[in-house]
Amino acid sequence: MPIEKVNSKVVKAVLTPGRAVLARRGAMLFYTGDVQFQPHSAGGAPGMGMGGMAGMAGMAGRAMAGENVPMMVAQVGGSGAGGGGEVHYGHAGLHVQVIQLDGSMNLSVEADRLLAHDAHLQTSIVFLGQQGGIRGAVRGAVTGQGLFTTQVSGQGSVAVLSHGGSFEIAVGQGRPVVVDPQAYVGHVGNLRVDVSASVGWREAVGKGSGEAIQLKISGQGTVFVQASEQKF
Amino acid sequence: MVAYEGEVTFKHAGMGGGGGFKAAVKRKMTGESLALMECTGRGLVYFAVDAQDVTVVELDNETMQVESQQLLALDGNLRTDVMFSGLRGATSGQGLFTTTVTGVGQAALLSAGGPPIALEVSPQHPLVVDPDAYVASRGQLNQTFVTDVSWKSVIGEGSGEAFSLRFDGTGVVYIQPEER
Repeated sequence: MPIEKVNSKVVKAVLTPGRAVLARRGAMLFYTGDVQFQPHSAGGAPGMGMGGMAGMAGMAGRAMAGENVPMMVAQVGGSGAGGGGEVHYGHAGLHVQVIQLDGSMNLSVEADRLLAHDAHLQTSIVFLGQQGGIRGAVRGAVTGQGLFTTQVSGQGSVAVLSHGGSFEIAVGQGRPVVVDPQAYVGHVGNLRVDVSASVGWREAVGKGSGEAIQLKISGQGTVFVQASEQKF
Repeated sequence: MVAYEGEVTFKHAGMGGGGGFKAAVKRKMTGESLALMECTGRGLVYFAVDAQDVTVVELDNETMQVESQQLLALDGNLRTDVMFSGLRGATSGQGLFTTTVTGVGQAALLSAGGPPIALEVSPQHPLVVDPDAYVASRGQLNQTFVTDVSWKSVIGEGSGEAFSLRFDGTGVVYIQPEER
């Protein structure tokens, strides 16, 4: 398990030869051992074997989507054989949650919530319109989350940021969960995210000027919700 | 609220809910703002505000005074009202009135900067707290407003003004680690 929690706001990535980690630029707190840092260019440096976005198309897609939080690669340094190191990451005093992906389900999360993840995980930009048709796209536009989200797939660990810490809600068949768009962090599994504007609790408390948007999440999986309505 | 599951309906607990008509009118007049919504049905509702700490307080047929902005949620069978709390608000900007919660049930309190600290007050040991750190209090307490305190100006905070809340009697006062 290369990424582990140190406390509620800091994670530690253990690097071994051939095991690299991708992290948000500027999130490195300190490191020990033989570690090398490089900007993660979307083209992918030759021979590095990074997953991630492939080639120019990916880079263009990322830039267009606005899901372009710069990332850094941390890997075991030049001397190689037998070396290793540990890198500690944290960002802006935000809480961190480490999510383990077993390869069977993808994680959907916004790029700016990604703190670090195993470099061998695949990330791709997903147009929300694919998720819930036009309503998915509307969701992005309405909630200010953008029309794109980042999807992480593969087997490994991902460190996700949240304001105030996040908790999990299991979503099962026939039991949808309704989440405040501002408190929504991300989700794992086969979930459908729909915008609904019917009930309107925000209106009920007099918050928000008449707009009462909720995310209705149904299917099979887990949704992560933070204890705050603050975006970053 | 950040999320819910199940069949839950929400409505503005204006005049009808949250302490009844009289309390609502008082609230309107006193400016002690407590915006509540009522959740009914069958399900689970998750509440959180701005990443603040939450503490659940059990009330057993007693009255708790609470700063309205520190009240996150409460059992529907608890009653809320507004009470005159002395001449503190004029200077601390928190209103001259405070919200009270009465009955049997649970209330969830918010606190900034960490979990609230429960301070015991006894006749031998009165307590003086910073109004900006005050969250709630319960018991047989008499609350007065003290101006003659110098510790705030000593540490250079506040422009010469130094105001505090003094509690006499027997009870518990909850304060938060971070000032508003």
